[in-house]
Amino acid sequence: MNNRWKKICSLLTITTMVATMAIGCSTSTKTVPTATDTKTTDTKTTDKNSTPRNETVYYNGQQWGAITDWNPLSSNSNNAMGISQTNSARTLLYETLYMYNMLDGKMYPLLADGDAVWNDAHTTLTVKMNKDAKWSDGTAVTANDVAYTFDTNVKYESPGGADYKTYIESIKATDDSTVVLTAKLNSAGIALNPLKVTEYLPKQYVMQKAYLQKVEARDNNDATKIKTDKMEDFVGSGPYKPSISNDQKVVFQRDDNYWGKATSMWGKLPVPKYIAHNIFKDNAAGDTAFKAGEVDVSQQFISDVASMMSGGKISTYLPESPYYLAATMPTAWFNVNRPGLDQVAVRKAIALAVDYDQIIKTAMSGYSPSFTDVPRTLMNPSESEQALVDQTALKSVQWTGNDIESAKKLLDTAGIKDTNGDGIREYKGKELSFKAECPAGWSDWNASLEIVAAAGKKIGIDITTYFPDANTFYDDLGNKNFDIAMYSPAAAGISNPWTRAFGILSSSYNKIKTQTIGNFGGYANARVDKILELIPHETDQAKLKAYYTELSKIYLTEVPSFSLMYRPELFYTVNETVWTNYPQEGSKSDKGIGIPPYDLTDGYGIAGLYTIELVK
Amino acid sequence: MKGYKKYYSNKIIWYLLTFVVAVILNFILPRLMPGNPVSAIAIRATKGMTSQTAIQKVYEEYANTFGINQPLYVQFFEFVKNLFKGNLGVSFMYYPRTVSDILAKSVWWTICLQLPAIIVGWFLGNILGAIAAYVRGVWDKGILPSFLFLSNMPAFGMAILLQFFFGVYLKWFPTALGYGYDMNPNLSLKFIGSVIYHYQLPFWSIVLITIGGQAIGMRSMSIYELNEDYVKYSRFLGIKDSKIVKYVFRNSMLPQITGLALSLGTMVGGALVSEIIFSYPGLGTTLLAAISGRDYPLISGCTLIITIMVLIANLAVEILYGFIDPRVKAAQQD
Repeated sequence: MNNRWKKICSLLTITTMVATMAIGCSTSTKTVPTATDTKTTDTKTTDKNSTPRNETVYYNGQQWGAITDWNPLSSNSNNAMGISQTNSARTLLYETLYMYNMLDGKMYPLLADGDAVWNDAHTTLTVKMNKDAKWSDGTAVTANDVAYTFDTNVKYESPGGADYKTYIESIKATDDSTVVLTAKLNSAGIALNPLKVTEYLPKQYVMQKAYLQKVEARDNNDATKIKTDKMEDFVGSGPYKPSISNDQKVVFQRDDNYWGKATSMWGKLPVPKYIAHNIFKDNAAGDTAFKAGEVDVSQQFISDVASMMSGGKISTYLPESPYYLAATMPTAWFNVNRPGLDQVAVRKAIALAVDYDQIIKTAMSGYSPSFTDVPRTLMNPSESEQALVDQTALKSVQWTGNDIESAKKLLDTAGIKDTNGDGIREYKGKELSFKAECPAGWSDWNASLEIVAAAGKKIGIDITTYFPDANTFYDDLGNKNFDIAMYSPAAAGISNPWTRAFGILSSSYNKIKTQTIGNFGGYANARVDKILELIPHETDQAKLKAYYTELSKIYLTEVPSFSLMYRPELFYTVNETVWTNYPQEGSKSDKGIGIPPYDLTDGYGIAGLYTIELVK
Repeated sequence: MKGYKKYYSNKIIWYLLTFVVAVILNFILPRLMPGNPVSAIAIRATKGMTSQTAIQKVYEEYANTFGINQPLYVQFFEFVKNLFKGNLGVSFMYYPRTVSDILAKSVWWTICLQLPAIIVGWFLGNILGAIAAYVRGVWDKGILPSFLFLSNMPAFGMAILLQFFFGVYLKWFPTALGYGYDMNPNLSLKFIGSVIYHYQLPFWSIVLITIGGQAIGMRSMSIYELNEDYVKYSRFLGIKDSKIVKYVFRNSMLPQITGLALSLGTMVGGALVSEIIFSYPGLGTTLLAAISGRDYPLISGCTLIITIMVLIANLAVEILYGFIDPRVKAAQQD
């Protein structure tokens, strides 16, 4: 009895072990069916088992979990690799009408043909379609698809639809290749916000009308079902199609019938046959793979890229510091309704005292131009935005930081002194004591706020750092439950710098109970609101410059928030072990247009996929 | 057998009671955390929007879908009702993926990572302990102490050390992912080989730590048993050594089996840090992400599975004891 029992036990355990290793270790995979299996070439055998190294470009830092859906209408899609309807939209699978180029601030046609044209009254915008544009199933991309996409977005209230509905009255197809966007008018008969109408063009994907109708039919026109539809069988017009998607990686395969190889567009197919992204759990794992040459293009924040570059294989867009092109400014927001922080003197004093050079050196590893190189305004350092503001006129209100004496003087003049000798100034009897918060784990931001706290100490204001987890932070931010919070405003886009200025200064956000878009501190200024209303209608560059300069002046005088550093919108570091000729400073596409450092996938950055080469 | 019935039914009732209390706690505790699941999701969804009405709408839609506006007891009854139907709910963060879908995929990774490692570690540890007790010499004075030293290292420390030395420095083993970064899942030998190759470092990081703990326990039990009267008596009677060792082994096994069953039960909790270090998308990382994202259904789902596995493991041990331990058998027959 004992013998048998032991034998059975040991046999069982061994079988379980072997069985689990064999069965369980074949991970759950979901091979996405390709839309149409037309002329498959001879690569069938290699597709199954691995993607050839010299035909694949590997990414990291974009996708952090298994892809849940392929649905641009979804408000909760985690599909960052394939779907990104931002100012510089990602056009690998789906495409937009235009591509935004953050280097020169212009849009270049993709599905469209030629420039978008306003009528004289500035109330309708006309776009012509590129007659060569085709869907992956061979049918042409027409104006009807554009119109139907907008109508679907609005009808089912996707985030894009809900937002643009406020600014765009309708999008109609006057014929198969002409699209007319009609702006919503205000009571005076002028377009409410022409900038937002233009913003639609490089940002929102065009989806196929026939496919959308198919989805509507199978989901019974139910908004929730449609917005949560997985759309694994979607029809896109982009150069790539999904090939593998599971919890360890996502792979896109090039569609060799891509319409963009026509001479009216790129004139050839993109060079890499596969675009792949392994899903790493954290930055460290991604960095290790990047250094080992298993990742070609990295979107991760690398804390010391200079030492990585010394090996010779790794390079960045700019050959020297700041290495990356900045597009936004992480900002410290004051809750202007809190006692003490409602005083301009207190806010400006804190802003004056912070050592920004220290922040840029330690927290940002030097990846930002200093505030001496690019004096602070509402603009990012790009040429297109700097041209819209008069730096000389703002000199009197700007500061470079670490100016303890001026800060102290400012506070003393305002009568905010330390009366009880504990080193902390009081205002109206209460000690000036604030918490500065940002999410835990965002190490460069954590370091920045520590430097802000140190500055506060030097001038007699008690600032302590507070790093809750991301969720609690967003809650605090959205409900004005903070003293000082750190967050980034909008980056680069066709409607910027207006969108950024709006997000930093508009009082329209104050009416919303919980919001995480902008003006978190609750600032309000009537003149600012007026200018923000005027800018979208202004086409005269000189006048625009005057407006933005005035906005910046008010911003720098009242200091409802202040920029801590400049920062790129996307990080872009490349490993030249397998591929080379990546877009770098000065790189131009085959058409002679500068390629922005957007990881070869976003906005006009996708031109990089056509100029990239294999290392010989 | 009548005695058995009373023994077992008593145990099972207590376990059910524990389970009910655990479910209640699993439900309430995450929801007591500060923070609102809608905030994090809404930030992503409303990015780039400027229209106030649109932004408000997105918030409300989420709040309604997740049902977090309703009072706590209403949410609890919904939860229990769905539980009986076998529906663990829909995740907030990965909406609209269902919790069961997410867990099904994560649990496989965790089990694959841990089960072979725990069992192999257990075996090797017990063998080492038995040898150290019986043979002594260098086994007892050298090898056992070194494994004991290793066993006191925290799992993440061992994982990082192995990854650094063998992965980054010596480049003998890969540093992350479940299989080759350029491979796609299929049933070819090359793929399975790649899976096993990638499994080495996580496997050994768990095994090396488990061996020490098991060995020292087994060694103590063996020494104790070897000094027992019945061993000395059997030797005097002239019974073969191998037969004596069998008796010793069987008696020493009892606490070890308990240990194994408990390890297997808690294994589903996930070797969280090993998973993060080696990029294995298992239950531990899912739970961590769910907690940071205040994804209540997912947290409840994960903790429910862990609770069930631990309770089952405990129950299984108790039942097993009834069969293996003759003292229990004897007690029942009184």
